[in-house]
Amino acid sequence: MTLTLQLWGGLIDSLRKLGAVILFLLEILKQCPGALARPRLISQQVHHSGVLSLVIIMTSAFFVGMVIGLQGYDSLSRLRQEDILGAGVALTLFKELGPVVTALLFAGRAGTALASEIGLMRATDQLSAMEVMAIDPIRRIVAPRFLGAVISVPLLTTVFNAIGILGAWFIGVLVMGVDNGAFWSQMQEFVDPPDIFEGVAKSVVFGITAGLVAVFEGYNAPPTAEGVGMATTRTVVTTSILVLVFDYVITAFLI
Amino acid sequence: MAWHTRASTSPTWKLPDPVADENIVQVSGLKFARSGRPIFSGLDLAIPRGSITAIMGPSGTGKTTLLRMITGQLRPHAGAVTVAGQNVAELSRSKLFDLRRRMGMLFQNSALLTDFSVFENVAFPLRENTRLPDELIRQVVLTKLNSVGLRGAADLMPSELSGGMSRRVAMARAIVMDPELLLYDEPFSGLDPISLGVVLRLIRINNDALGLTSVVVSHDVAEITQIADFCFVISEGKVIASGPPKDLAGSSSELVRQFMTGAADGPVPFHYPAPDYALQLLGTSR
Repeated sequence: MTLTLQLWGGLIDSLRKLGAVILFLLEILKQCPGALARPRLISQQVHHSGVLSLVIIMTSAFFVGMVIGLQGYDSLSRLRQEDILGAGVALTLFKELGPVVTALLFAGRAGTALASEIGLMRATDQLSAMEVMAIDPIRRIVAPRFLGAVISVPLLTTVFNAIGILGAWFIGVLVMGVDNGAFWSQMQEFVDPPDIFEGVAKSVVFGITAGLVAVFEGYNAPPTAEGVGMATTRTVVTTSILVLVFDYVITAFLI
Repeated sequence: MAWHTRASTSPTWKLPDPVADENIVQVSGLKFARSGRPIFSGLDLAIPRGSITAIMGPSGTGKTTLLRMITGQLRPHAGAVTVAGQNVAELSRSKLFDLRRRMGMLFQNSALLTDFSVFENVAFPLRENTRLPDELIRQVVLTKLNSVGLRGAADLMPSELSGGMSRRVAMARAIVMDPELLLYDEPFSGLDPISLGVVLRLIRINNDALGLTSVVVSHDVAEITQIADFCFVISEGKVIASGPPKDLAGSSSELVRQFMTGAADGPVPFHYPAPDYALQLLGTSR
């Protein structure tokens, strides 16, 4: 009986939180036109969330590309099909690994920074001060950061894909000896626009997810050091789980 | 210390009448509870225009909560908070923001924007709420910073300021929109004697020179009674005493007298309720 009550209570809490997230998203969307009218605020956030994430994204992409290149070469060479390594790497990166790994890295680097920044502003009354100054913190603080994330993740995914392919090319062509022409021509042959679209759609959804979770957790963080820390942790955990769930859902719809 | 006393700096001052129409803030029958614990249980008070009104009371009596209700950040569970003739809880979001443009608030921890310089902190409300040209904003900000003695600190970052300087920057920011009502939340906490004296002086000068109304929430009795025109003492969700500071010291209420004199024991006991001391030491009770 107690377990049932606890499960019921947990379900109610989850639904309440889901409702709060949806209301928060609607409030952000309402304030987005106002935020878009000030592109400088958004470009600052693209710089903070996107440009400053480039090092971790590019480094990870290169090594992920090398691993796929190595594993792909190992598998394909058993079938004497090494020439299609370029196509296999591109499809893996564009459709799956590019959007997913970029979103996970974004949550760890930029999402945590967003959540802790907004949480700290809450804890030090900076958001309350804005409200009293008749400045809506959702419009001035939250919406530009959310839009910064939504713009950054697809752009970072593109960079991740490009660097990942270079990593696979480095291992496949320069180290393992796959034919350079075959590597690129097979990629052109097998990668179609719908494959690119699938990756772009995923990266947009993941950008919205990562941005929304980060600003929601930060904005609603309890105003204590522990509260901000917990919000940061929840940002990474929630974003990671949601990205993997949405990845499956989108794949199931588009495949 | 005569420079910041009421009589010497405000010759037009008169005893406020709590029921007069000129009350800028009117609180009636206010009820509010947090986590089931009642904070206000029928609070009534009125703050007259042009005065410095102190709201005092022991810690945890809801003084800051009252300020948040005046600014519309919290809504009462019953009763009404009226500011400039408008019931704050019934205002639409845009009307509430219009009303807030007529208020300023000084937070206990100053709440300066940590990524902005002193100048940009003070300019922030102007940049966000007006379309004034940069040159005019610069002049207004420098004027306000000069009035709190920190024009020379315009380029410093909040992390480079002392507690007293932060409080003065926050004060400049609070008055930059020329508000009618200025709310101070514990403006003296954590200040050294010199900074405290400066803040006291600025509250009095701002109030008189700018013709605004000041509401100061504080439990620093000695300091606030130097500049307040009228005081309310809140305890257990209600106003237990009100009047000019000198009248409160002679109050018939033991609780008010304990609060005003800072006595360690009295109606608010020194000891938190506990079992018998001897029994507990002998181990028969936890």
